[in-house]
Amino acid sequence: MSSTQNQDTVTSHQARRADVVVIGAGLAGLTAARELVAAGRSVTVLEARARVGGRLLNHRLGDGQVTEIGGQFVGPTQDHILALAKEVGVATYRAAVPGENVYVRNGRARRFSGHLLPDPLALPEMGIALARIGQAAAKVDPAAPWRAPNARELDGMTYETWLRKAGITGAAVDLVNVFLNSAYGGEARDASALFSLWYVSTFGDETHPGTMERGTGTTGGAQDSRFVGGSQLVAQRLAEELDGRVQLNAPVRRVSQDSTGVTVVSDAGDWRAGRVIVAVPPLVASRIVWDPLLPAQQDQLFQRLPFGTLMKCVAVYDRPFWRAEGLSGMGLLRGGSPIREMFDNTPPDGGPGVLMGFLGGREWRKWAHRSAAERRGAVLRCFAQVVGERAFDTVDYVEQDWTAEQWTQGGPTAVAAPGVLTDFGQWMGRPHHRVHWAGAEFSPYWNGYMDGAVRSGQHTATELLHQI
Amino acid sequence: MNRFFVAETAVIDAPVERVWDVISRTDRYAEWVAGAIEVTDHHGLATVGRTYAERNRTLGPLKTDSIWTVQEIEPLKRRVDTGTGFAPLQDLTNTFEFRPVQSADGREATEMLYQVEYTIGLGPLGLLLDAIQQPAMRAGMRTSMANLNTLLRSEASRTAH
Ligand SMILES: Cc1cc2nc3c(=O)[nH]c(=O)nc-3n(C[C@H](O)[C@H](O)[C@H](O)COP(=O)(O)OP(=O)(O)OC[C@H]3O[C@@H](n4cnc5c(N)ncnc54)[C@H](O)[C@@H]3O)c2cc1C
Repeated sequence: MSSTQNQDTVTSHQARRADVVVIGAGLAGLTAARELVAAGRSVTVLEARARVGGRLLNHRLGDGQVTEIGGQFVGPTQDHILALAKEVGVATYRAAVPGENVYVRNGRARRFSGHLLPDPLALPEMGIALARIGQAAAKVDPAAPWRAPNARELDGMTYETWLRKAGITGAAVDLVNVFLNSAYGGEARDASALFSLWYVSTFGDETHPGTMERGTGTTGGAQDSRFVGGSQLVAQRLAEELDGRVQLNAPVRRVSQDSTGVTVVSDAGDWRAGRVIVAVPPLVASRIVWDPLLPAQQDQLFQRLPFGTLMKCVAVYDRPFWRAEGLSGMGLLRGGSPIREMFDNTPPDGGPGVLMGFLGGREWRKWAHRSAAERRGAVLRCFAQVVGERAFDTVDYVEQDWTAEQWTQGGPTAVAAPGVLTDFGQWMGRPHHRVHWAGAEFSPYWNGYMDGAVRSGQHTATELLHQI
Repeated sequence: MNRFFVAETAVIDAPVERVWDVISRTDRYAEWVAGAIEVTDHHGLATVGRTYAERNRTLGPLKTDSIWTVQEIEPLKRRVDTGTGFAPLQDLTNTFEFRPVQSADGREATEMLYQVEYTIGLGPLGLLLDAIQQPAMRAGMRTSMANLNTLLRSEASRTAH
């Protein structure tokens, strides 16, 4: 300890000072910083990347148009992100495009409207699955899943095992996996049953218990709306408001604390602060050098909360040609298909046509290492099954592989395997002396979502302000 | 023993070099061969004497595991493989042949011959069995070649890297 203290005394001479240093300029970090500034604190936000927004990223289409290659959808009960966006002047619009959706099974495409899949064999089973998931998730407290009845038993098996034990087999498991492919960047077999039921219990707020329908739904659900100008604009506006307090290109390498404060060592120099908020993904946080070390349980927890494997694949066309054919561009593709879920991601005022598909989980694992041309071909063949062969006539094609991002390491969020929540879950948000935690993964509602990130940023700022 | 020959031809809308590149990849059969659910073992670029394995759909919901051995390679022209695992079909020989042709609008295209040769024991019952399975096999071969055409088109899309 003494050598560290010496080092801190030396660095603290050159270190810049702030009441609070926030590490990470994603939604959670920026929201926390905004609250602290409003409360009159001096704040610096240190961001590793050359941009703000973290898992929110706009891709420029030209002519001022953008499409998102990170998080994009918001919906009812996500009141924290919706209110924040409004405050910084970012409007929303309905995501769903009029027209029929397409369901692809065994290479055969069928159009359908609304929520009813054109699959008479899978439908009843899916109904039973939703009912069982709903009943079980209702027993899980979003703030303390480890206290659920049978928590240890549920945490001792994968979600797939639980689904099968609940009498849910082939088709419904595959349909649950269509959702998890993008929601986890994984599958039911990757996650603990307790984690998965808890995850469903977070699809709501203090007055609306979470439901699977709200999580998977388009209109009226989590995929209800999008942001005009792209979701990253919310983060950019927050950063503008912070007026010079965000330091880009400042990856934090080391955090040392003693009885008088915290020294944060970054590539852009050192800062000395009374308190620190760490708002980076849990696994990424475990790779910072901690002095003193994190409590071992907390460090183990963070190491056990890796993100899934997820890539967004985006094809751009001169216009959204499928709309004229009565198609919404939304497609659900059953097992064996590289893309399992796709959407029309055309900017709100028309412009170039954009189709976006998720390449996630097992499909990512199969395709990520293939040549770019072969992977693009496979993605476009999926798109063609949904909107026809004109899907091959792209003017641009873009992929964003979140696993290749050093400061995110996967996507969209953390997925816990069996044993993690019951053995380590309680260590999640516990402050480590002067260090506090924030991020989408720390929220009891909409965990892993933008709303969770904003909630967590606000919660942590409040927690910290009570202590100083 | 009844020996059967089933052949289908199609024109693939791509130069023979590109067709050859794809059909030579033993890891890629599940991407275009109808009924090949998954390639479970492969040796990359087809090499004479080496094997690859597939999980295949047969009649209805039935699945089977097949093992193929590459027998002959005549670059850009001909590929012959023999396979096992499709009982009651035996001594399966799969042949692809390619010939450069021109499409109506003058582009380079490829005529593909897809031929499967096999025996079914069981005497007259074998003939009956074949009458049941052959139409599905032909349809599968045509679908495979249509899939190959689509695969090549998707990889030749305008924004190809
Ligand atoms: C493909 C994809 C699709 C998604 N879809 C949706 C959706 O439709 N709706 C939805 O609500 N959510 C969605 N999400 C999730 C959503 O994007 C996240 O929940 C949210 O943006 C997380 O915000 P955050 O601030 O908690 O974390 P992050 O956005 O990950 O921010 C963390 C920040 O910390 C920085 N950082 C990391 N390490 C360091 C370090 N050592 N030093 C300094 N800075 C560091 C990072 O660069 C980053 O800017 C999606 C995510 C992905 C990847």
